[in-house]
Amino acid sequence: MNLLLRISSILSVFGHYPSFILAYIIETLMVIIFATVVVAGMVYLFRKYMARVQMRVGPNRVGKAGILQVMADGLKLIQKESIMPEGRDDLAYKVAPVLIFFGLIMGFIFIPYGPLAWFGQLTVSHSDVSLIIIFALIAIMPIGEILSGISSNNKYAVLGALRGVAKDISFEVPMMLSILAVVMMASVKVSNPLDINGVVVAQSIPFAILEPLGFFVFLISMAARASYSPFDMGESDSELVTGNTTEYTGLRFGLFYLGLFGTIFLGSMLISTIYLGGYYGPYTNYAGFIWLLIKTVVLVVISLTIWLSMPRVRIDKFVTFGWKYLLPISFINLIITGILIFGGIA
Amino acid sequence: MENKGLKEKYIELNMGPQHPSTHGVLRLKLLLDGETVKNVEPVIGYLHRNAEKICELDFYCDALIYFDRMDYVGAMNMEVGYLEAAEKLLNIEPPERVVWIRTVMAELNRLASHLVWAGAFGLDLGMLTPFFYVFEQREKILDLFTEICGSRQETNYMSIGGVYQDFNDKIIYKIKEFTKQFPKKLDEVYNLLAKNDIFISRTKNVGILEPEVALDYGVTGPMLRASGVPYDVRKAEPYLAYDRVNFDIPISKGKDVLARFVVRFEEMRQSVKIINQAIDKIPDGPYFNPKARKSLMLRLRGEGDVYARTESPKGEFGVYLVGDGSVKPYRVHVRSPSFKNLSILPYLSKDVLIADMVAISGSIDLVFGEVDR
Amino acid sequence: MAYEVKEENSKDGRKVLRISKESLLELMGDIKGSGYDSLSLISTVDFRDRIEVVYHLTNSRTEEMLAIKSETRDSRMPSVTSLFESANWDEREQYDMMGIIFEGHPDLKRILLPEGWVGYPLRKDYDLSKVQYVNMDDEGNDRVSFDPGDGW
Repeated sequence: MNLLLRISSILSVFGHYPSFILAYIIETLMVIIFATVVVAGMVYLFRKYMARVQMRVGPNRVGKAGILQVMADGLKLIQKESIMPEGRDDLAYKVAPVLIFFGLIMGFIFIPYGPLAWFGQLTVSHSDVSLIIIFALIAIMPIGEILSGISSNNKYAVLGALRGVAKDISFEVPMMLSILAVVMMASVKVSNPLDINGVVVAQSIPFAILEPLGFFVFLISMAARASYSPFDMGESDSELVTGNTTEYTGLRFGLFYLGLFGTIFLGSMLISTIYLGGYYGPYTNYAGFIWLLIKTVVLVVISLTIWLSMPRVRIDKFVTFGWKYLLPISFINLIITGILIFGGIA
Repeated sequence: MENKGLKEKYIELNMGPQHPSTHGVLRLKLLLDGETVKNVEPVIGYLHRNAEKICELDFYCDALIYFDRMDYVGAMNMEVGYLEAAEKLLNIEPPERVVWIRTVMAELNRLASHLVWAGAFGLDLGMLTPFFYVFEQREKILDLFTEICGSRQETNYMSIGGVYQDFNDKIIYKIKEFTKQFPKKLDEVYNLLAKNDIFISRTKNVGILEPEVALDYGVTGPMLRASGVPYDVRKAEPYLAYDRVNFDIPISKGKDVLARFVVRFEEMRQSVKIINQAIDKIPDGPYFNPKARKSLMLRLRGEGDVYARTESPKGEFGVYLVGDGSVKPYRVHVRSPSFKNLSILPYLSKDVLIADMVAISGSIDLVFGEVDR
Repeated sequence: MAYEVKEENSKDGRKVLRISKESLLELMGDIKGSGYDSLSLISTVDFRDRIEVVYHLTNSRTEEMLAIKSETRDSRMPSVTSLFESANWDEREQYDMMGIIFEGHPDLKRILLPEGWVGYPLRKDYDLSKVQYVNMDDEGNDRVSFDPGDGW
C-alpha cells in the first residue's frame, strides 16, 4: 500500500477529494522536512568528516559532539541582516536563492523512495514522464545561479555566473545522452521507461554494470552540477571570492549553502536510483528505503572525499573535457547500448 | 540594471586588498577580457610602516624587532640578514656556538616558511586539505621556537653578537625528533599535491619565466632557481656556517609554476639535511659575544657602509647599513625579495586566465610585511 | 673609457666604483656587458648636502657583487630602467622615500605611500611630528590630508 493512500484514508473524514489534496500537502511537507533534515545532517557529516580528514576536531561545542551546530548556524543565518547591494536587480536578486531551493525540493519530490515496512511506497508524485520532469526541475537551479550572478551588481558574481553557464552547457548534453541510454535500456524490460520508478524496476542488473561509460559520465555530471571541488569554478573562493554568491548574506546565503549540500545529496540519490538499482536490495519490500539511503550515503561520502582531495579544474580545461571527452564517451555509450539491445544481450 | 563593466569591452576589476588569494593586502588592478587577464597593475603599500625610518630612530640592537615583522613567517632569516650587516659594521664577531645555533634556527624557519607557502598555494588552487597537513608540521616548528625563544613567530631571538637563549640537550633532542619524522610527512603532502593530475594541469607550463627575464627583473630565490639559474647566496657568498655543511642547491629546468613547487619542496629536504648536520656540530662555548653584552648593547657604534646579502626563504635578502659613528644606524635599506619577485607578476600574467594568474601569484610566495616594509 | 671611475673597497671587502652621475648610464651599460646582469638594489643615503645613490649589481655566473656609488645634489638622477627592468620598482621606491627624480623613468610615481603624500619620509629633514591621514575618494584614489577627522 502506498503512503499517500494511507494518509488519505486516515483523513477520509474530510471527504474523498479534500483528503487526497490534504494527503498530498502533508506528504510534500514531509519531503521538504526530510530534505532539510537530510541536508542538515549532511552538513554535520561533512564538517565532521572534513575535520577528520584534515586532522582537526570539527564542531564540538553545541550539543553532544557538536550535533546541534548546524541548527545554531542556521539560526545565526536567519538572524543576520540580509545585505542588499546597491544597483542590484531587485526581483532577480531576491528570486535567485528561492529558485535554487525550489529546484532542489522539487527534485526530492519525484525520487522513488521505495517501500518502507508499514508505510508502504513512500514516493510522493507519480508520473509517466517523471524522469524528464526531474531533470527539468533540477535544471531550474542553474537559472538561480545565473540570476544571482548577474543581478547582484558585482563583477566577481558576473564572472562566476559566466563560468557557471560555460560549465553547465559543457556537461548537460553528455548527461542527458547518458540518461537517454538508460531509457533505451529500461524500455527493453518495462513499458514505462520514462518513469523514474520504471527505471528502478528495470534494474534486475544495475545499469552501472551494463553501462559503465554512462555511469562514469553521469557521476561526473552530478559532481559538476553540485559544483564542489574540483568543479567549483563558479564559486572558486580563491579567484572570484565566492562567485555568484559574493553579495549574499544571511538567510539568502543559507539557501545557497543548502542548495550546494542538497544537490550533493540529491545527485547521489539520483545516481543510486538510476544506476545502482535504487531501492532494490535484499528484503526490498520492507527495507527498500533503507537500501536507497545506504547507497546514497556511500556515494555522498565518496563525493566528499573527492571534494577534499582535489584542486580546482580550470574552466577552459573543463569545457574542453566536456566537449572532447564526455560527449564522445556518451555517444559511444549510446551505440554500445543499442548494440546490446539489438543483440538481445540485455 | 546598472553594471558599467558589461557595457565596455574590458572589465576593470579590483582584486583586493581584501581578497582570499592575495596573501595579505595586495591589490591588483585587473583589466579583463572575459576571463583573460589583459593587464595587471599591483598596488602595494597597504602594510607600509616604514621600518627603515623607525630603525634610523633607534639603537642598533632595537632594529631587530622591526626585521622580525618584515617577513613574519620567516623571522629568523630576517634577523640573520640584519645581523650579518650589523655585525660587520660594528666589528663584532659572534662566537662559534652562536653561528651554528643560528644556522639551525634559520633553516628551521625556512622549513616553516616553505610549509606555509605550500599550504597557501594549495588553497590558491582550491585545495584545502594540504593546508592542515603542512600546518601540523609548522606548528611543531613553532612549538620548538616557543620553547627556545618564548614566542612563536616574531621571535626576536637573536641579538648582536649572540642569541638570547642557549640551546640545551632537551632542545637538541626535540629538534632531532622533529627532523626524524619530518621527511615522511613532507613526502605525504608532496604526493597529495604533485601526484594529482588536476594539480599538474593547473601548474605545468603556466607562468613560464625565462632565466634572462628573471635576472633582468631581479627575481631571486626559489623562483630564479626554478628557472634554471643556480644562484643561492648560501653558496655564492656563504654566511653563518653554510660553507661547513654539505647540501645541494636544487634547480629545475621547468621554469613554470610546477618547477617552483618542486624546487621549494626539494629545498625543504635540503634544509632538513642541513639541520641534521648542524645540530651535531654545535660546539660548546658562550652564546654571546662579551663585547655586545647587555650593558654594552646600547653603546655600540659603527661607521662606514655595509651591504650583506643572505638567502631568506623568499630569495636574496639584502641589508644596506650605513653608520655615521653614532649609536644609531644612519640609514637602513632593505632589499626585500618579495618586493622584487612581485614586480614580475604583470609580466607573467599577460594574456593568461584569472585562474592561472592566481596560481602564478601564489607561486611567487608573497609576504606583505616584507613587500611593504 | 670616456668616464672617470674611482675604485675603492667598502668595509665588507666589496669592490666599489665611484662615478659622477653624468657618466653613470655609460658605466652601467659597460658593467652590464661585462656580466653583471642583475641589478639587486638601488639604495639612497641622505647626507643632507647631497644624496648618495648606491647600485648593487650581481653577476649571475660568478655570483660576485659590485657596488656603484654616485651622488646627486639636486635630487635628480638618470634612470637605469633602460638597462635593468628591476630598476623600475626600485627607482619608484626611492622616489617615494627619498624624493629623487629619476629622469627617463617610464612611470615615476609613488609606490608604497599614497599619491599626494607630503614630503619624503627617509630624508633627514622630514618632519615626523606632522601626522598625515589617508582616505579614499569616490573614484577609489587615495587622498591625503592633515585633518585627523578625515581618514585614518
